[in-house]
Amino acid sequence: MSRNRIAAQELDRAVPPYHHNPSAWSQRVPICLLAFVAALISSHLSLYQWGFIENAWDPVFAGGSNRVLKSDTAKSMYGLLGIHDAALGVLAYLGDAILGFAGSTRRWQYRPWLVILFGVDVIPLGIVSVVLVLCQAFIVGDWCFLCLVTAAISLVLVYWAWDEVRVSLAYLKIVWTQHRSVRLMWDAFWGIRCEELDRAGEQLLSREVS
Amino acid sequence: MWGRVVEIMTAVWLGASPFIFGVQSDVTILWGDFSIALSIAALAGLSYWRPTRHAHLLTLLVAVGLVLWGRFANTPAPPAHQNHIVIGLFLMMIAIIPNDASMPPRVWQVPPPK
Repeated sequence: MSRNRIAAQELDRAVPPYHHNPSAWSQRVPICLLAFVAALISSHLSLYQWGFIENAWDPVFAGGSNRVLKSDTAKSMYGLLGIHDAALGVLAYLGDAILGFAGSTRRWQYRPWLVILFGVDVIPLGIVSVVLVLCQAFIVGDWCFLCLVTAAISLVLVYWAWDEVRVSLAYLKIVWTQHRSVRLMWDAFWGIRCEELDRAGEQLLSREVS
Repeated sequence: MWGRVVEIMTAVWLGASPFIFGVQSDVTILWGDFSIALSIAALAGLSYWRPTRHAHLLTLLVAVGLVLWGRFANTPAPPAHQNHIVIGLFLMMIAIIPNDASMPPRVWQVPPPK
């Protein structure tokens, strides 16, 4: 590697207020793996909705899963989306995995757009999962075990992803409060480098950890 | 370049889709899928060449077109068109992944001036 290249330890620095780097692989790979598991579970539910399998696996609520997945609510969502809601879930979880996997270990500064997009994918997905669970309880009147599992996974993903989104937003906030420049915010968001952004990143990194 | 590899693999799936879904007799779907698959693969391939390294972003337009075609061609969407919607949404996520996504962008690869 060239001597001019930025060192790996420079990329993988802890970002206050945390004692770790939220963009480190050790932080992101578990998110990707868990999102991938949720995508696999959603694939199983999609196969049932498409009619490729006779029953959705449910060790707790017996036929509850089948009734939820073929309920009028699910059918109306199918009419609206053009694809089954479980298939959309597969795509959303795959999106979490893909957006979680892309970017270097300092993407909170170098590619804030990617981190924000990742947050936009993960956090609403958690909210949608909770809404779907409420739909099960109050509209359909049945429960689907694997839907509850994926909803729980969504909430774990929100919890795990939040620290990285937070430091990216903190970095953008520093840029804004120091310069009040829309142009510089634009550059910071898209990762276009300049001296001011170098300093903003260093300022965040040099904050004291309580 | 894993994003581009996934795009090419998706293009192969789209090219094979008319036969997988048994709609090869429908000329519109057959040639539509072939030509769209070819453009996705071409845009991914062009992204390997430095002067056209952002070509993969044009895949976003192709993806939006696929979703609209799948959603509005027939209601309710038959399997072949549901496939278009799913592929379109998937490509929207993949197409925005930068080349060399695991590395810092080039401008950030040198240390800051002291």
